Amino acid sequence: MSLYEIRNMAVDIAGNRLVEEVSLTVEAGRCTAIIGASGSGKSLTCLTPFGLTPGSASGSMLLDGVDLVGADAGQLRDARRRLTGFIFQQPLTALTPHLTVGAQLQEATMQAGSARPSRLELVQKLERVGLSRPDERLDQFPHRLSGGERQRVMIAAAIAHDPKLLIADEPTSALDASLRTEIMDLLDELRAEQGLGMLLVSHDLASVEGHADQLVVMDKGRVVETGPVGDVIANPAEDYTRKLITATPRLNEPSPKLVELGDVLLETGDVAVEFQRPGWRRGTISAVVDASIMVRQGEALALVGGSGSGKSTLGRAIAGIGPVTRGGVLWQGSALPERRARSLEMRRLIQPVFQDPVASLDPQWQVRDIVTEPLRNLRPDLTRAEREDLARRALSNVDLAEDFLTRMPTSLSGGQAQRVAIARAIIAAPQLLVLDEATSALDPLVGAEILMLLARLQAENGLSLLFITHDIAAARRLCHRIAVMDEGRIVETGAMQAVIDDPRHPATQRLVAAS
Amino acid sequence: MLSLITRRLMTAIPTLLVIILASFFLMRLAPGGPFDGERPLDPATQAALQQAYGLDRPLWEQAWLYISRLVQGDFGPSLVYRDFSVSELIAQGLPISLTLGGLAIMLALIIGVTAGLFAAVRAGKAADKMIMMLATVATALPTFVTGPALALCFGLWLGLLPVSGTGEGGAWLIMPVVALALPVSGAIAKLTRAGLASVLKQDHIRTARARGLSETKILFKHGLRPALVPVASYLGPAAAGLLTGAVVVETVFGLPGLGRYFVQGALNRDYPLVLGVVTLYAALIILFNLFADLVYGWLDPRMREG
Repeated sequence: MSLYEIRNMAVDIAGNRLVEEVSLTVEAGRCTAIIGASGSGKSLTCLTPFGLTPGSASGSMLLDGVDLVGADAGQLRDARRRLTGFIFQQPLTALTPHLTVGAQLQEATMQAGSARPSRLELVQKLERVGLSRPDERLDQFPHRLSGGERQRVMIAAAIAHDPKLLIADEPTSALDASLRTEIMDLLDELRAEQGLGMLLVSHDLASVEGHADQLVVMDKGRVVETGPVGDVIANPAEDYTRKLITATPRLNEPSPKLVELGDVLLETGDVAVEFQRPGWRRGTISAVVDASIMVRQGEALALVGGSGSGKSTLGRAIAGIGPVTRGGVLWQGSALPERRARSLEMRRLIQPVFQDPVASLDPQWQVRDIVTEPLRNLRPDLTRAEREDLARRALSNVDLAEDFLTRMPTSLSGGQAQRVAIARAIIAAPQLLVLDEATSALDPLVGAEILMLLARLQAENGLSLLFITHDIAAARRLCHRIAVMDEGRIVETGAMQAVIDDPRHPATQRLVAAS
Repeated sequence: MLSLITRRLMTAIPTLLVIILASFFLMRLAPGGPFDGERPLDPATQAALQQAYGLDRPLWEQAWLYISRLVQGDFGPSLVYRDFSVSELIAQGLPISLTLGGLAIMLALIIGVTAGLFAAVRAGKAADKMIMMLATVATALPTFVTGPALALCFGLWLGLLPVSGTGEGGAWLIMPVVALALPVSGAIAKLTRAGLASVLKQDHIRTARARGLSETKILFKHGLRPALVPVASYLGPAAAGLLTGAVVVETVFGLPGLGRYFVQGALNRDYPLVLGVVTLYAALIILFNLFADLVYGWLDPRMREG
């Protein structure tokens, strides 16, 4: 008998059927992964049977002999207390801010009725999830820990009471690539060690491969395809699965055909960015240390690094929207002055695109106003009609219909919003786009489309790109060269494929291994 | 934590100085003087009095003299209550005002937080709507309405509580404290409910629920503390309001608190008395705000930094 078995489940919220005909099983010691785009109902599928969403589930759900369908609130609570552990996506907000790590771990340990654990036992639990200086961590509040450390605490708490089923809802989506691999490896170990069954939810096929046994592909609230991971990926039976597999960037896929390069467009000379330490402590934090990079006409350069490596800060310095402490930017051989002193013509040259497309568009503005804003500031010579005209052309360039002009950002999907952001960036005919994690927040299918759009814009307009990301596989689809950042320094640069084949610096090796 | 306290006490000194100087000069700008009565005094007596209290000297010299005496703990003589020094008047009034204000804040917290909690748990139901309506009414009713209404009801009709003055035991405190606490408790109830409603939607509550904790435990252990942050930021100004607002209640119930001296001192141009009370209020308000900041840090450890 399976540890956990869902047969023909449906989920309704306020009379709307959002998930239907879902069947899946989780075996003890095995991992079943649900893959799907945002809104495909995968989180609802794994959380609703336990009463953790506003929805109600019907059908048949059997966990370790306990029927979850007929259970009232008290029985569900009991099932959660004894049988399951949960890991959520955002380690920052999923831990209670005013309770120490130790207090929360103790609560989790005692949830199934165990006696109060000793401090030593708590230390051992943190050691088991690979947290350094566990004794010190017990007395710390969650905000003092980094994202990866918090997620380890979350895992320690989720398994503290020896549950039988671990439910992990996007456990690595908020982490950078090398942390993702570390956390997934840790989950594999714990699963094997304790015979835990695991139900894993992810939008990223790449992070599931090699860890899960069974794969469940979901789309629009229904299961598209189910089977052993290897089989499904090797021989996908359904179109949707096939699209998902081709959309997911891999290091071993055939090299893309990239455009020819021109002269040197932009060079940075030992750019350094320092910040004042917060609070009353003296001193500065060096976010970027003497970084020198070069971008040619028509070239796409990948600026790759883990979170906190300084890649975004360098990108902002180059785009002229962030501080520069020392050093400067050369544009076609001559120095770009600091931001305030740049002429309108110079400001037009470099345009940014950000990670979260929905949050980076003003929710009160129509798409028309958002897209034409650069023109209003940078091209005062244009008339209103000319601006409208350019806006229409920019939208068609990013494959959006004209009627998007009057839409509001809140009515856009993530992919549409990112297209609007790109239209805004290209409307004033810049020569370099600085793309800060421009595809990281998107579903794989949408992200792959945006990558293709960028490649096309580059080929048609001779645009240069600075593609900032933590995902080497995604960068490889677009970029000629790669610059790797670690702790504020550029530690390795070279042709994309050469660096992937033979990474020299440990940071590069970690990033390549994680892809 | 200790550095926060020392830092705030250090900045309190210049703040107090500015407040004292500003009120000193503002008060002297106002027309009239302490010795203006119904019948004007003859010029010789007037001049003699001015000289005796040093009011004939240049203004800046008077200010300097006042502050140098204040540093030694001397608030000066009262110009109107001629037999008393300002320190003596404050010593009489302060205990009553502090008791009143302190009890009122505690009562307001107990009523407000309990009502807010109750409403948040029953969000959208009849009990919630009822409590929130009562909270609005409590906030809107001024003390000069609730005070006399209470006195009429419990003092005159039912004869349960003394209507005026202090007395043996604590019965005389009940009505003034309730009158003072009511509007504050209404505001606290609303803040608590709004705070809890937003906290209960947060991710860490889902984590607590995923552990199979009881709803009561989720509410008190994981939900309440962050929900009280807005209440804490309201407490500083609320305490200040209770101190200065006590004037009305003290007058209604005939209590010899600080508020009475404050108002009468201002009307009589009793410069040292008004300055003394202002200085004291300012110091207390600075202390309350410091206390509120310490409470913040306890409610949400993230606020202890930077």
